[in-house]
Amino acid sequence: MEGRRLLEDDREPVGFDWARLASVKPADLGLRFGFGAVIALLASVAGTLGGPRFGGLFLAFPAVLPATLTLIEKKEGTTKAWADASGGTLGALGLGAFAVTTVLLLRWNPAAALLLALLAWTVVSAGLYFLFRASGLFLRQDRLVSKARS
Amino acid sequence: MSISSVLLKALVGGLAVVGFSLIGHGGHPKRFAGLVSAAPSVAVASLAITVVLKGADATVPYAQGMLIGSAGMVAYCLASLYLIERLHALVGSILAWLAWLLVAGGLYVALER
Repeated sequence: MEGRRLLEDDREPVGFDWARLASVKPADLGLRFGFGAVIALLASVAGTLGGPRFGGLFLAFPAVLPATLTLIEKKEGTTKAWADASGGTLGALGLGAFAVTTVLLLRWNPAAALLLALLAWTVVSAGLYFLFRASGLFLRQDRLVSKARS
Repeated sequence: MSISSVLLKALVGGLAVVGFSLIGHGGHPKRFAGLVSAAPSVAVASLAITVVLKGADATVPYAQGMLIGSAGMVAYCLASLYLIERLHALVGSILAWLAWLLVAGGLYVALER
């Protein structure tokens, strides 16, 4: 993991680059579609065979991440794959907020519950990102986990 | 559950993953884009279809299972951070599935007892 490259990347302003979408290869999208379809299939089958709570486990299974991280490493290097996984950790905490919101509100109004759950995921994961970014917690996390200790 | 509903979940789940991955692809910096790697793409598609087909009461246990799975997802991401740098993305991110299995599986077994 190259600490300097990570630091440069972290200093980039948060935003969305529409031009980058043009560089997405259909094969990469096909791969992600395949992984997504398989995990949805697996959750359904697991729910039928082992009960709905068991099937629900697989709705939070990181099926697509190995493909995503491998593609990022191949194209942009290990440091960028590391950064993606680092953001994924905060996104995963947001996933917990999504699930809690769904459990609490689904019986009240299913459509509103799913929309509010998506909002909860966005607020928690993005909120944690900005907190980590502003407070230097990313740097502490990197020092704790990285063998480079940069 | 009928085969057509399972296939519908697979189709919508796959499309949701593609949609979220495009958001991640265009986003920057990388750590921010990485948030989308753990987006509830399959979950939102699958839960929505389950609600339509079976109703809210039957869908809640799926969300409860997902809550347990999300603890495994946090463990997975932390483990992959450690392993990617040492073993590279392909091996590291696949080996990190063990962390998901241990945490999600362990919590499920403990809570279902």
